[in-house]
Amino acid sequence: MWLPLAGLLVGVLLGLVVGVEIPLGLVKYTAIAVLAALDTLLGGLRAQLEGRFDLVVFTSGFLVNTSFAALLTAIGDLLGVDVYLGAVIVFSMRIFNNVSFIRRDLLRGFAREAVQGAGQPEGR
Amino acid sequence: MSYALRGEAVPGRPTGLQLALAAALLCVGLLGTWQLRAERSIRAALRIPSQRLEELTFLLQEQARQREELESHIAALRERLSRTEEVATRDRGALQALQRRLEALRLAAGVEPLRGPGVVVELRDSPKPLAEGEDPNLVLVHYTDVQAVVATLWGAGAEAVAVNGERVVSTTGLTCVGTTILCNARRLAPPYVIVALGNPRALAAALEAEDSPLTALRAFGLPVRVATGQDLRVPAYRGGFQFRFAQVDRP
Repeated sequence: MWLPLAGLLVGVLLGLVVGVEIPLGLVKYTAIAVLAALDTLLGGLRAQLEGRFDLVVFTSGFLVNTSFAALLTAIGDLLGVDVYLGAVIVFSMRIFNNVSFIRRDLLRGFAREAVQGAGQPEGR
Repeated sequence: MSYALRGEAVPGRPTGLQLALAAALLCVGLLGTWQLRAERSIRAALRIPSQRLEELTFLLQEQARQREELESHIAALRERLSRTEEVATRDRGALQALQRRLEALRLAAGVEPLRGPGVVVELRDSPKPLAEGEDPNLVLVHYTDVQAVVATLWGAGAEAVAVNGERVVSTTGLTCVGTTILCNARRLAPPYVIVALGNPRALAAALEAEDSPLTALRAFGLPVRVATGQDLRVPAYRGGFQFRFAQVDRP
């Protein structure tokens, strides 16, 4: 698990070191993009837990979802529709769903390990 | 950690999942950090959440547009004002010129009372009693005499002439009505006092000349008096001007 965490750390450090100023008008769209990226990430994690993780699906989903979320929000703004709000709601819901699934799965895994570690006391 | 996340085919070598997650997290970290920094700089600069940014931008643009509109309005009004002022000054100038011209014309027409230096001529009928068989015309002052004196005064450069308080203007005619003289539709009776404004010396000299009508009058024994004055008054013409037949002939 060290590699993904290292990736996150490197990303944050890079973001701090490389001072890229996001133009004021685009801040809203990058916020949605971050949300979409987070959602895809958690979705990938969940797929792995379910045993149906596909690297191509994950990578393409990550790239396309992220950019498309920002693009759709921008188009919505052009049309005067608050797609922004819809995107926030949808991604938030999905993120919560994924997080709760991952949490339950992890808890189940811990419980099983604990049981195995205790070594079947009653022989059943 | 969960059993599923530990799925390492070869121990020590990262799986595709871990690589993908690392790359994705790197992107998220990078983007998120930039996002946070932008958000913080916005908050520091504006002290408002970025959600209201759109709305405020719109408001700002709206206000700027309105201000531009008002400014152009002001400019238009200023221009109108300056144009109006220009016209007003021009009109005022024209008005002053017209007033000056009107003043001159009123002076020329004789509808203004005037004062100034000039001469006073007094003509009287002869005081001596009429002898038997003598022509009374010889002892009376005729309108022609008055006319001759007035003409002499005009000729000597008089600027305004009045006979017994009747101003002599361009349409004034002296006619004989019985024993009186009709001037400006008013009857004048002797003695006839003719006041003329102008250079007193020039006027007096013209009156005392050899061929002056006064010479003939004096020869007939009529009492004639000429006096110069420095502050004589000539009244204004009180009648009207009527042009029913004559028309302005301007090319």
